[in-house]
Amino acid sequence: MENEEVALSSNPNPNLLVADPSLQKKHQSMLDRLSNRHQTRLDNSLTRRSAESDSSASPSFESTSNFLSRFSNSKSSIESQLAQCRLCDPTQVKSHLDQISSSISDLEKLVAENSYFLPSYEVRSSLKTTSDLRQSLEVLSAELLPKKKFSFRNKPTRKDPIAEPKEEEKEQEPEKKSGFRVPDSPGFWNKKGEILVHNFKGSEVGEFSISDLDSCEVRLMGSVRALFVHRLRNCRLYTGPVTGSVLVDGVEGCVFVMASHQIRIHNAKTSDFYLRVRSRPIIEDSCGVRFAPYCLTYKGIEEELREASLDKETEKWSNVDDFLWLRAVQSPNWSILPENERLGLVDISKSVES
Amino acid sequence: MGLLSIIRKIKRKEKEIRILMVGLDNSGKTTIVLRINGEDTSVVSPTLGFNIKTIIYQKYTLNIWDVGGQKTIRSYWRNYFEQTDGLVWVVDSSDLRRLEDCKAELDNLLKEERLSGSSLLILANKQDIKGALTPEEIAKVLNLEAMDKTRHWQIVGCSAFTGEGLLEGFDWLVQDIASRIYVLD
Ligand SMILES: Nc1nc2c(ncn2[C@@H]2O[C@H](COP(=O)(O)OP(=O)(O)OP(=O)(O)O)[C@@H](O)[C@H]2O)c(=O)[nH]1
Ligand SMILES: [Mg+2]
Repeated sequence: MENEEVALSSNPNPNLLVADPSLQKKHQSMLDRLSNRHQTRLDNSLTRRSAESDSSASPSFESTSNFLSRFSNSKSSIESQLAQCRLCDPTQVKSHLDQISSSISDLEKLVAENSYFLPSYEVRSSLKTTSDLRQSLEVLSAELLPKKKFSFRNKPTRKDPIAEPKEEEKEQEPEKKSGFRVPDSPGFWNKKGEILVHNFKGSEVGEFSISDLDSCEVRLMGSVRALFVHRLRNCRLYTGPVTGSVLVDGVEGCVFVMASHQIRIHNAKTSDFYLRVRSRPIIEDSCGVRFAPYCLTYKGIEEELREASLDKETEKWSNVDDFLWLRAVQSPNWSILPENERLGLVDISKSVES
Repeated sequence: MGLLSIIRKIKRKEKEIRILMVGLDNSGKTTIVLRINGEDTSVVSPTLGFNIKTIIYQKYTLNIWDVGGQKTIRSYWRNYFEQTDGLVWVVDSSDLRRLEDCKAELDNLLKEERLSGSSLLILANKQDIKGALTPEEIAKVLNLEAMDKTRHWQIVGCSAFTGEGLLEGFDWLVQDIASRIYVLD
């Protein structure tokens, strides 16, 4: 590895891309990537080989406690390595830090590979832990390593995509976008105090959008493929089956009665959701949301639900995942709606006719 | 050791390609991976962490990392940029309201130096939905033409629902990566 790097930096192919320094830099970073990649492949095949020969090293699959003990062992070992860094010989610091970085990568990989069977809060907290370890490493590197003049090494000048100023981009946005206008999609928007009814029956399957409503009641019958719900206040929304997903963003004081394959809820406040859903409903940046089972009826709904494979109660409505909640105890952001406060069966066909 | 010898060295190793799939939540990443792997797509949950699949594709082993796109999880994407050969950016072409978000996140991602050598496939997914934007329209909204000239990229319309376009997209990606990484004998 070291050899290759030296060779690369001291012997850049003079025929390649000499004209443009930025291209040259790009090119170098690609070379460097390739050589890193190569090294990893070597490492991987080595690890694989040693794992094969040492059966005790292979994880017992899909055991949370096994994962947790491996995770916490590595975590403490990384933490103590980090602590030792300050004490070690200055000439060794660099390699020490590199080694920690690769231990953190291994830990990240461990999380990724096991996340499919782990309880969601474990995934979230492990992700947070690895991220924090990275952070500590970066702080330490900045402190202990002299600033390099120029390096072909592709190691992180880690930019935080989240923390980067988004304001700036927002400002450029209108100008960049001006060349293209997003067409309006079918839906209801900008209404106050109305009853809005739509039946999808007979129309081509598509998406439907509901946005910027205040104190409205929306009744959607028939099945639709995708539903987008943005910025509702004090509204009631009743829907037949959505065969894809529902995305709810920015609602307050609303009641939703919906059936869908997937439901994602963002920025919801004090709202009730009566759901039939095939996978776990998820909430993000929400509080005071309550859940109950689906309770809608209208003429023909049974058949529509059956066709959408939403005729059976899956109990998923009560199995809500709060993406921002890191602990095993119940998230304070959502709760089950007490039975005595729930709506009875809502019949929207009747009220339409009358 | 120069470029050629390194490439030759890599060439001798197994033909493994690592692909990172990202995009906003709900864009269809997991459904796409399941679809190309021939798995059941009738119950797909929003991805909390990762969904990692190893798929044999032509003579290559694709190691596909599908990472959740919920806002909370996006900040962890960057932990997995290392050693990525190909980037797949999935767009829900029917989600007109969030195209700006989508553009902002993609722009951020492409600033990432560690991804600078990876090929970029943009999948304009959900083409089966009436009202979905075409790949050409998506390219305009995302302002793809303005992308760094050194980047290899391609946009393809697809539907994880019908399967349309997926092979075309992955064919391009794999060929592009292979011709860079496994170029010489
Ligand atoms: N109509 C249609 N629906 C699709 C298509 N692809 C995905 N979907 C639906 O879109 C929803 C989201 O799909 P997922 O695969 O979970 O999306 P994702 O990008 O993995 O989402 P996260 O894991 O939250 O990041 C699901 O309800 C899918 O059935 C498509 O091509 N057409
Ligand atoms: Mg997913």
